[in-house]
Amino acid sequence: MKDKLAVIFLIFIGILFYSLTIKGVLGNPRPEDFKNKLDQKSQALELSPERGRFANTLALAEFHTYDLGQVLADAVYPDVGVYNGKFFSFFAPGVSYLALPFYLLGRKFNMSLTGAFSLVPLLAIFNMLLIFFISRKIFKLPSWAAAFASLVFGFGSTAWSYAITLYQHQFTVFFMLSSFLAAYQYKNSGRSGFLWGLWVFLAYGLAITVDYPNAVLLLPVVVYFLAVSVRFVKDKLDLKILIRPAMFISVISLFAVGAWNAYHNQVNFGSWKKLSGELVDYSTIKELDLAGRPDSNAALTQLSEQKGLQSFFREVNVPFSFYTLTVSPDRGLFVFAPIFLLALFGIRRGKSYGLEQGILLSLAAVNLFLYSSWGDPWGGWAYGPRYLIPSMAVLSIFVAVFASQNSKVWRKVIVFALVAYSSLIAVIGALTTNAIPPKIEAVSLPDKRYNFLFNWALVKKGESSSLLYNTYFKYHLSLMEYMLVIYGALVLIMVVILFLMPRLEKK
Amino acid sequence: MFSITISQKNIMRWQRFTGKLTTEKFVVFLAAVLAAAATFYSLRHGYITAYGDAESHLNIAKRVIDSLTPGFAQLGGIWLPLPHLLLMPFVYVDFLWRTGLAGSIISGAAFVVSAIFLFKLTLLITKNRAAAFFASLVFTINPNILYMQTTPMTELTLIVFFILSSYYFIVFLQDDKNILPLVLSAAFGFCAALSRYDGWFLVLAEAGILSLLYLPWQSIPKSVTEIKNKFNKERWAKLEGRVIMFSTLAMFGIFIWLAWGMLILGDPLYFTHSQFSAKSQQHSWLIRGELPGYKNFWLSFVYYFVTSMSNVGVIVFALAIAGAIYLLFNKQGRHRYFVLLVLLVPFIFNVLTLYVGQSVIFIPHITPITFEWRLFNARYGIMMVPFAAVAAAYLFYKTRIAGKILISGLLVAQVCTYLVGYSPVITLEDGRVGLSSATAKIPDAQYWIDKNYDGGLVLVDDYARTMSIIRTHIPMKRIIYVGNKPYWDDSLKEPEKYATWIIMQKNDDVWNNIYENPEVQGRLFKYFQKVYTSPDVLIFKRIIN
Repeated sequence: MKDKLAVIFLIFIGILFYSLTIKGVLGNPRPEDFKNKLDQKSQALELSPERGRFANTLALAEFHTYDLGQVLADAVYPDVGVYNGKFFSFFAPGVSYLALPFYLLGRKFNMSLTGAFSLVPLLAIFNMLLIFFISRKIFKLPSWAAAFASLVFGFGSTAWSYAITLYQHQFTVFFMLSSFLAAYQYKNSGRSGFLWGLWVFLAYGLAITVDYPNAVLLLPVVVYFLAVSVRFVKDKLDLKILIRPAMFISVISLFAVGAWNAYHNQVNFGSWKKLSGELVDYSTIKELDLAGRPDSNAALTQLSEQKGLQSFFREVNVPFSFYTLTVSPDRGLFVFAPIFLLALFGIRRGKSYGLEQGILLSLAAVNLFLYSSWGDPWGGWAYGPRYLIPSMAVLSIFVAVFASQNSKVWRKVIVFALVAYSSLIAVIGALTTNAIPPKIEAVSLPDKRYNFLFNWALVKKGESSSLLYNTYFKYHLSLMEYMLVIYGALVLIMVVILFLMPRLEKK
Repeated sequence: MFSITISQKNIMRWQRFTGKLTTEKFVVFLAAVLAAAATFYSLRHGYITAYGDAESHLNIAKRVIDSLTPGFAQLGGIWLPLPHLLLMPFVYVDFLWRTGLAGSIISGAAFVVSAIFLFKLTLLITKNRAAAFFASLVFTINPNILYMQTTPMTELTLIVFFILSSYYFIVFLQDDKNILPLVLSAAFGFCAALSRYDGWFLVLAEAGILSLLYLPWQSIPKSVTEIKNKFNKERWAKLEGRVIMFSTLAMFGIFIWLAWGMLILGDPLYFTHSQFSAKSQQHSWLIRGELPGYKNFWLSFVYYFVTSMSNVGVIVFALAIAGAIYLLFNKQGRHRYFVLLVLLVPFIFNVLTLYVGQSVIFIPHITPITFEWRLFNARYGIMMVPFAAVAAAYLFYKTRIAGKILISGLLVAQVCTYLVGYSPVITLEDGRVGLSSATAKIPDAQYWIDKNYDGGLVLVDDYARTMSIIRTHIPMKRIIYVGNKPYWDDSLKEPEKYATWIIMQKNDDVWNNIYENPEVQGRLFKYFQKVYTSPDVLIFKRIIN
C-alpha cells in the first residue's frame, strides 16, 4: 500500500514538474521553421542534438525517409554526414524512430514537436519508478528513501534538463535500469525467466540504437545476466555446471534489434556495419568544396575510412575529460549537483548489497571511464555533465542509502542542504537553456559565463524555454516567480520526505 | 537446466595445470618467450634504437673497449656506469652493437629476472601463488615494459635492481633476525645506485625506513623527559648496526660515482651541473616557460601521476590504486606502510625531480598544445609498473572468485585497449615520434655519408646527435668525438691534423669552433672540400695532396 502510494505520488510529481518545464512550441513545425526560429537560444531546437533527432523524426513522418534533404541538413548542420549525396544526422537512429508515434499523435493535436518531445519525460518518470523499485527491492530501503532517490535523479540533478527535450540520455537510463531490474527478476524467477531475459537483450539492443557507446555502457548488465544464468554445484566429488536455457533463448531479441539496425545501415549508408557517426562530415565537404566535383567520390571514400569508431575514445583524453566531468566549473558533476558527493559515503556503507551493488557501481564506473575517454566531455554546448546522466541514476540510489543509514538530524540537514542547492541548479537549467558553452569557448564570447550563472541571468531576464510558461504563465508571473513556485514546491516535498515521512513510516 | 559435469579427475587435472602455471619456472618461460617475441618485433621494425639515448648508451659501452682512445674514462660522468659496463661484452660484436641487440640482451635478461622476483615479492606479501602469478602477468604483458626491454635504455636495468633490492628488503622486514636479506638488499641497492639516479633515492629511502623500523622509542615522546626515559638502547643499537651496515654497502655506489667525478672530471657533482647534465638541458625549457612541474608541486604530481597511468595502463592503474588502498587499510598486513613506501619510491623520486627542475616530462594527455613538444620522457612512468603489478595482485588476492574473474577480465580488457588503439604504447610513441626519438629526425646527411664514406677519421659532435653512427658503416675506431683526447681538442684548432671527414650541424661544437671561427675556417677550406650541403648539415672531405 505504501509503495502504491509512493508510485502514484512519483507519477504525479513527475507529470507536474515535467509539464511545467517541458520545451516545445505549439503547431506542427516545417523544415523551414528550424533555421533562425526554433534553433535560437531558449527555443525548442536550440542545439543540434535535439534538432538532428527531431529532424529525422520529421523526415520519417512527413517524407517517409531517413534522408534529411537539403533544408533539414542545413538546419541540423554541423552534425550532418553525407553518403551518396544524401544527408543524415550523425546521431544513432533509435530515438528518432521511437519518438515517431508520439510525433504522429502530437500532430493530430497540432503539437507534433511537443508530442515527439513528450516521450522523454514519460521515460524520465519510468526511470524514477525504476530507481524506486531498485531501491526498495534490492537495497531494501524504506519507501521514503526510495522515493527520495527517485526525486534526486528526477529533480535534484541536471538530468532534469535532458528529460524535457529530445536527447538520448533518458532512453539510455531507461534501458540500463530496466534491463538491470529484469536481470535481477530473471535471477529470482523460475521457468518464466526467459521473458525477463528477452527484455534484458531487447533493452541492450535498443540502447545501442539510441546511442552507440551504450554497447559498452550496458555490458555490466549483460555480464550480470550471464553470471546469474550459470550455477556451480558440488555433486559429491564432481562439479556440476548448471546453465539456464533461457540464457540462449533470450539472445534472440538482441539479434532481432541487431538485424533491424543492420538493415537500416545497409539501406541508408550502403553497408550493414557502417554507423551514422562514421559518415563523412558535411562540414568537411563544404570546407574542401567537394560537393559536385567529379573526383569527389575517391576523396569521400578516403575521408570515410579515416573515421573509425576507435578514434572517438582515446586514453589521452582521460585526465582532462575526467576532470571536466567531475569537478570542473563548467560541467563538473559535483559542482552542478553536489548531492552526489554523499553517494560516495553511501557506497561505502552499502557494502552488504553484494553482486547487485557491484553491477550498479560498474555501470557508473564504465560510464565515467567511457566518457572520460571522449574528446568532447562537455557534450558540446550543454547544461551540466550530460554524459554522466546514467551515473546520476545509479548514484541517486546511494545518496538515499546514505540518507537512510540512521536518523540523526545533522545527517538529514546535510542531505537537505545539498539537495536544495542541487535542485536550484537543476530547475534554473530546466527552465531556461542547455546552450551553455564550455569554458574554453566562453572566454572568447561576449558573455563569458559558462555554467549555471548564465541560466540565472536568463531567469532574471525572463527568458524561458518552458512551453507552458511561454504559452500561459508568462502573462501572469515573472520567470523568477515561476521558478520560485516550482522550486518552493520541490523544497517542500524534500522536507516532507526527509524529515516527516521517516517518522510516519516508523509509526 | 543444461548441466555439464566435471569429474573429480578433471578437476584434479585442472588444478595440476594451474599449479604448473603458478610456478617460477612457468613465469621464466612466459617472460622469456614474450621478451624474445617483442625483441623480434622491435628488430624487424627498427624500434630497438628508436630512442636517441639508446644509441648513446651503446656507443658509450663500445668506446670503452673499441674506439680511438679506449678505456674506462669513456664512461663519462653524466650517465651512471653500470648499464654500460653490462653492455660491454656484447657491444664488442659489431652486429649486436649496430642493431642494438646488445642492449636487448641486457634489458631482456633484466625483464625475466624482474618477472620472477615480482612473483616472489607478491608471494611474500600474499602467500598466494595465483596472486603472485597475476603480478608477474601484469608486468610481463605490459606493452611499455615489453617494448623497453627490447632496447638498450637503462630503465629495465634499474627496474630489476629496484625489484631485487625491494624484495630482499621486504624479506628482511618480515623477519629481521636473518641479516642476509638486508645485505642482499644493500648489494642490489648498490647496483641500482649505479644504474640510474632513481637508485640513489631508493637506497636513501630504504635506509630511512630502517631507521623508522628501529626508532628507539616505541611511541612518540611527548616531552623532553620522555625522550630520555623512553629511549630504548637495545633498539638504538640495532638501528646503528643495521643502518650503518646497509648504508655502507648500498651507498658505496654513490660514493664511487662522486669519487669518479672528482678524479676523472675534477668535480664530484659534474653529473648535476655540467653542460651535458639534465639540469642544463632543463634550463632551456625553463627559459621558454615550458617546464610545467618546476616549483609547482601539484603539477609535478599530476604530470607523474598521468605518466604512470599511461605506462601502466588506465584499467590496471585503477586496480592498483584500489589494491594499494586495500593494503593500506588492511590491519593484518605486516609493515604495510613500509612495503608501500618502498614500492612508491619511484613515484616520490620523480615528483621531486620534476619539482626541482632536474627532469622534465611532456605527455600529450596534459601538456598544453602551445608547447613545442608534447611527448618527451614519458618512459619515466614505467618505473611504476612493479608497484602496479603488486598492488593489483593484492586486490586480486583479496577478492572472492567472482572478483578474481572480474579482475582477470579487466586485465584482458586492458590488453584490448592497446590492441584497438585506445591506448598508445607511450614509450614506443616517444621513441618513434616524440622528442626522445632518433628515428624521427634522421638527417639526409647520414644516408649520404653512409653511402660515400671510404675510410679515414671522422670528426663529429656526437653529443649534438648530428648523425647516427650505428646506422652508418663507419667503425667506432674511426670517430673523433669530444671524449677522444687529444684528437678532439687538436682537431678543433687544426682540423686537418687527424680527420679525413668533418661532419657539422648548425650550432654544434664542430660548427661553432671550426666553421664559425674565422681563423680555423681558413684552414678548413684550405684542407677540405665541401662535399655535402643541406640547410643544417655540412660535410667536408680532406683534399688529397
